[in-house]
Amino acid sequence: MSDELKTKVQDLIDNMINPAVAGHGGFVELIDVQDNRVYLQMGGGCQGCGAADITLKAGIERLLKEELPEIIEVLDTTDHASGANPYYTAGKT
Amino acid sequence: MDRLLLLLPTTTYRTQAFVDAATKLGVDLVCAADRPNVFEADAPDHLVTLDFNDPAAAAARAAELHRRAPITAVVAVDDLTTVVASTIAERLRLPANSVAATTAARNKHDLRCRLAAAGVPQPRFRTVPLDDDPGRAAAVTHYPSVLKPLTLSASRGVIRADSPVEFVVAFRRIAKLLQREDVTVSGDGARFLLVEDYVGGDEVALEGLLMNGRLHTLAIFDKPDPLEGPFFEETIYVTPSLLSPTMQERIRAVTGHGCAALGLTEGPIHAELRVNEQGPLVLEIAARSIGGLCSRTLVFGTGMSLEEVILRHALRWPIESLTREHRAAGVMMIPIPRPGRLGAVRGRERALAVPGIEDVVITMHAGQELVPLPEGYQYLGFIFARGDRPEGVTQALRDAHAALTFEID
Repeated sequence: MSDELKTKVQDLIDNMINPAVAGHGGFVELIDVQDNRVYLQMGGGCQGCGAADITLKAGIERLLKEELPEIIEVLDTTDHASGANPYYTAGKT
Repeated sequence: MDRLLLLLPTTTYRTQAFVDAATKLGVDLVCAADRPNVFEADAPDHLVTLDFNDPAAAAARAAELHRRAPITAVVAVDDLTTVVASTIAERLRLPANSVAATTAARNKHDLRCRLAAAGVPQPRFRTVPLDDDPGRAAAVTHYPSVLKPLTLSASRGVIRADSPVEFVVAFRRIAKLLQREDVTVSGDGARFLLVEDYVGGDEVALEGLLMNGRLHTLAIFDKPDPLEGPFFEETIYVTPSLLSPTMQERIRAVTGHGCAALGLTEGPIHAELRVNEQGPLVLEIAARSIGGLCSRTLVFGTGMSLEEVILRHALRWPIESLTREHRAAGVMMIPIPRPGRLGAVRGRERALAVPGIEDVVITMHAGQELVPLPEGYQYLGFIFARGDRPEGVTQALRDAHAALTFEID
């Protein structure tokens, strides 16, 4: 079951998610699916980006849940501190 | 299900903490940013672009969203969005601070005028037109003085001047800063700067939550590093404060008086005060929570984050407790030692091994341009510590910082 779900998630990442984040120089990599939880890593412009959490929760997680309602949540395993070229960078306001 | 509109500038440090809190509460989250998200077309009811520099237009767009599915609360996560949030709340008839109050808190001169009218203790001040002759203004200034832009945050552009010569240099430096591409100022903020008397003493920050006009103090932070200028780079915040209970009560009272003078009634406030033999004087009161990643120092009740407290209040949900944990906690905003490009940060493992250190987060990335104060507004990162006593937390932060080395090209 998990392998089948993993394949479906990978398909959505390849066909819907990565083409979208590519516009900001980013990409998303599927790390694993365990107990209906999806573990992702973000790279390129997404790694360290100030909007990465918005993209993950309001974009990627919502999209995956709409297509695959059995998904419970999407978790980000990215080391954002190592991002070398984030699309947006943060400042203290 | 309650529907929450979060205003998240793409440059804020605060996104993760607020999104995590909203996720924990299980609300229907709408994220509004100042730049389009790549998934906006796929999720038009949950990802929106708002012009934070045009509150009326942002409110009109929010009203469209509200018509499709009612919004229960709107929350600004930092200084840039407080006025927009109150404009939207006013349009949607949601309980929040008035636009007049948040506008006054965003403009340092308006803030000073309101505090002065209410008799709140603060430094003596006046504005100087940026097209004025700085030499003439310098001649009628009391020294030491502090020059400030009206609307920038994070001590950006704040410079102490001890003489007319230093005044002129500082004046020109601020005028040049306001021309930078990454600075957005308009109206009086582009035409004037503020000149205040420099006030000596210790500096503290009060983190609070206003509920129906009543100030609830969440924490008072000491700032153990001296902030004497010429620039005012913040480094260590530690709570609880080591000031006497009597002085802490006076700080609470003065801050509450200041909030009332501004007309602030709801939501988080972050106040900064100087404390000396005259008592507490207000430097700033902002209608937002603490900046950067510093809120990680605060845990309430049985594990609520500051962001959860803020969201619960905005949603009118019950808040179990506003009492902070008993342990001392602190954060160091890692200063930028010199301009250049960040090569690497080394020694993180050694810093993490210092007793009491919980985390070391480097937020700037390799290759990023480093701009120190007064022109810059970013930090290299943040160090977090907890311990039994504030003094121990401060020392742990200093030791962890000393373990880090920064390669800057």
